[in-house]
Amino acid sequence: MTNTAILSKIAFILVLSWLSCFPVWAASSSAQSVVVYVSEDQVFAAPILQNFEKETGIRVKAVYDTEESKSTGVMNRLIAEKNNPQADVYWANEVVRAEVLKNKGISTAYISPNAAEIPAAFKDPEGYWTGFSARARVLLVKKGLKEKPGSISDYADPRWRARTVIANPVFGTTTDYMAALFLLWGNESAQTFMNRMKGNEVKISSSNGESADLVSSGEFDFSLVDSDDVVNRMKQGKAVEMVVPDQGKDGIGSLILPNAVVQIKNSPHPEQGRKLIDYLLSKETERKLAFAECAQIPLHPGVETPPEVPSLEKIKVMNVNYADIAKKMLEIQLFLKSWSGL
Amino acid sequence: MSLRRSIFWLTAALLIGLGLSPLAEIFAQSLFVNGRLSLDLFSNMLSSSQTRHLLMTSLSLAGLVTFLSVMIGLPLSILLGKSDMPGRSWLITVFTLPLLIPPYVQAVAWFHLLGRQGLVARWVAGGDWKAGSNFLFSVGGCGWVMFTCYMPILMLLTIAFIRSVNPRLEEAALLTATWPRILSRITLPLILPGIILGALLIFLLDLGEFGVPLFLRINVFPVETFTQFSAYYDFGAAAAAAAPLALIALMAMFAEGLFLERKTVHVRIGPGDGPGIRIGLGKLGKWLAALMWFFAFAIVIMPLLALLSESAVIQAWRTAMTQGWDSVLRSMFFAAIAASLLSVLGFLTGYLIHVQGLGSWRLLDTLTILLFALPSTVIGIGMIGVWNHPFTNFVYASPIILILGYVIQYWVLPSRITLAALSRIPASMEEAAQVMGVSWIRRMAGIIVPLVRRDIIVAWLVCYIFCLRDTGISMLVYPPGTDPLTVRIFTLMANGEPAMIAALCVSLIILSLIPLGIIQWIGMRKGWA
Repeated sequence: MTNTAILSKIAFILVLSWLSCFPVWAASSSAQSVVVYVSEDQVFAAPILQNFEKETGIRVKAVYDTEESKSTGVMNRLIAEKNNPQADVYWANEVVRAEVLKNKGISTAYISPNAAEIPAAFKDPEGYWTGFSARARVLLVKKGLKEKPGSISDYADPRWRARTVIANPVFGTTTDYMAALFLLWGNESAQTFMNRMKGNEVKISSSNGESADLVSSGEFDFSLVDSDDVVNRMKQGKAVEMVVPDQGKDGIGSLILPNAVVQIKNSPHPEQGRKLIDYLLSKETERKLAFAECAQIPLHPGVETPPEVPSLEKIKVMNVNYADIAKKMLEIQLFLKSWSGL
Repeated sequence: MSLRRSIFWLTAALLIGLGLSPLAEIFAQSLFVNGRLSLDLFSNMLSSSQTRHLLMTSLSLAGLVTFLSVMIGLPLSILLGKSDMPGRSWLITVFTLPLLIPPYVQAVAWFHLLGRQGLVARWVAGGDWKAGSNFLFSVGGCGWVMFTCYMPILMLLTIAFIRSVNPRLEEAALLTATWPRILSRITLPLILPGIILGALLIFLLDLGEFGVPLFLRINVFPVETFTQFSAYYDFGAAAAAAAPLALIALMAMFAEGLFLERKTVHVRIGPGDGPGIRIGLGKLGKWLAALMWFFAFAIVIMPLLALLSESAVIQAWRTAMTQGWDSVLRSMFFAAIAASLLSVLGFLTGYLIHVQGLGSWRLLDTLTILLFALPSTVIGIGMIGVWNHPFTNFVYASPIILILGYVIQYWVLPSRITLAALSRIPASMEEAAQVMGVSWIRRMAGIIVPLVRRDIIVAWLVCYIFCLRDTGISMLVYPPGTDPLTVRIFTLMANGEPAMIAALCVSLIILSLIPLGIIQWIGMRKGWA
């Protein structure tokens, strides 16, 4: 075999390898498509996006987040892609992520006609994000206890010493909750509370899911988790119940954590992106998410829900601003990190 | 410039260009605080007592896993690679299985086994059982899981090096000495580079691993890098936090380089073919085989059984295939392309380093190991910075970016395998052809490649497996709508049906075994050792 023949063969194999990637790329670059980055769990989000595809004929190309990256992988990707955005829409599972994007100049304003009936507290006044389908921060309580906890303050009550568990506040929705407490109570009182809580031997778990499992298995009496964690365990037949905390006259209320949808600035398919945003903010999507395993609370009034999903009208909602929570979160991260021993 | 030198330059330029660019990008980000040039991120991180504490935990954990791997993996490799113990090839296959599964999935499998409501708890304690869980969620438990994940690396490398030992040396020694003496005086010193390489790779992989410690809640240094990404979205601080890991990786490599340099005379040995003479174990062989099977059962089969028992639902397989079939095909396709590219580029790099074809050969070797040792998150973010521009969108928005990521991170594997293979070939063979006026490309095609073709196949297979099970790079750079199977498993893991997740994990293992089976079949037909 001559040198040229050998080199030609190697070059042919290499070129063929590289070219074989292009059909996938070309097919995915069609104009009638929309790119969405999703922090909501794929098992819940994918059916909604598939319905959108069927109804509109617009192909959805999604990037989902992973449990391993604590649902922050796509956020990091959006930030890193700021100068040449690939995504049209971001479906955040917490409003604070949408606030971070707004502050970093990654999102753009879009006020969807479908969001008109969503209460103002769950929308950015300038339209940089719109909330839909929420979770509430509630207490998952073991059934059969002589007395039930009714407030977040019970974590520091000696009656519950070494009988409570909470997800690591450095990650996820527990961070949001702690930031909200710091806003409502002030830094000093909130820090004192958290230190008392630690002194009361609270167990720190890796996630809300693990906290829910620890209470469901009877190892602990209660835990602050998301409402979908409770509904999920109740559907599994575990001996647990949901207590919405701090609902009394002077109570601080329950923190509501909606999903949020965001349009990305300078995105490649803005029109399709807006269509997807409209679809996600529809009453029908909220109804589907309420009946799905994630059991989310609709923000539109009058949307049908299953009996186990609490209605927003019956909950005393914590009076905090999500933009303030996002700022406070960054401010208290060092404290939370040292508190949790990370 | 000769063709040989041109190809060397091209390989070096590709490695430096593709590999260094994401590192330079993220390093530049770590030098700027609020848009101003500053070393604050580094000084803050280095002056923190928590950094020292985390570093010590990371080093202890990596040291523990490496120690366990050498202490248990080395005798195991000698038994499997050198003795006539019955069922050796089956045992090698079984012990290799954990290498095919992402470590995070293995941690989940161990949790299904030893958790409070895991398989053992159900069998032994009839319900709630805390001892296993307490062990699993400790430094020791974390070390144990990581040991089962990475020990096969040392085992496979040691067996490969045992096969490269010239059998005539042992034959001659057998005339006057017993096996323990031959092993300690001849075999072990000759395979020491393989053992050290295996130990180094295990140490570096442990040092950079964050999935298992995060799942088992052990605070180690890579978790700090991860926290900077996930809680603060601070890429600069994350890159600064990765610097100590990079430094330790370089120091470990430097030590390895120094050691092997002194041992060069022992490494350059004659051509070996197969294991040579095997150690006769007699009746003891059956007992040792039983013991090895018991050990394999405990560390490999039990967690896999937990995974299999979780997936043993037909409906789960139906759902898994409906939800993951496209990812299954994509994963095989991407891994096969990346492995093919890696085999060519790694072979050329290994050859270049072996013949010291360029003045910068040591730098190239260092760079490949550095890229392997760095957290994939750092490389992934760096790659986004480098490739996500309108004029390079054809790379960034296509699967090419994924394949590039695999190539960058795993370049060291085929390079080092080639290097080990080339050290067995006497330089005189190529020199003789050169004297006869045979061109370099024909010497390569006619002498070198045929002599190391099995090693190239092994390199392809190793690269295929590493690309297939990759999660770090894939999660960060896969183009929308083209997620590989590992990413699909992780995204479905959040609230997905456990049986379906387990079925997808089993699919991943099967995907890894397909080329292994094909190559084994071809090998058997061709009578390869």
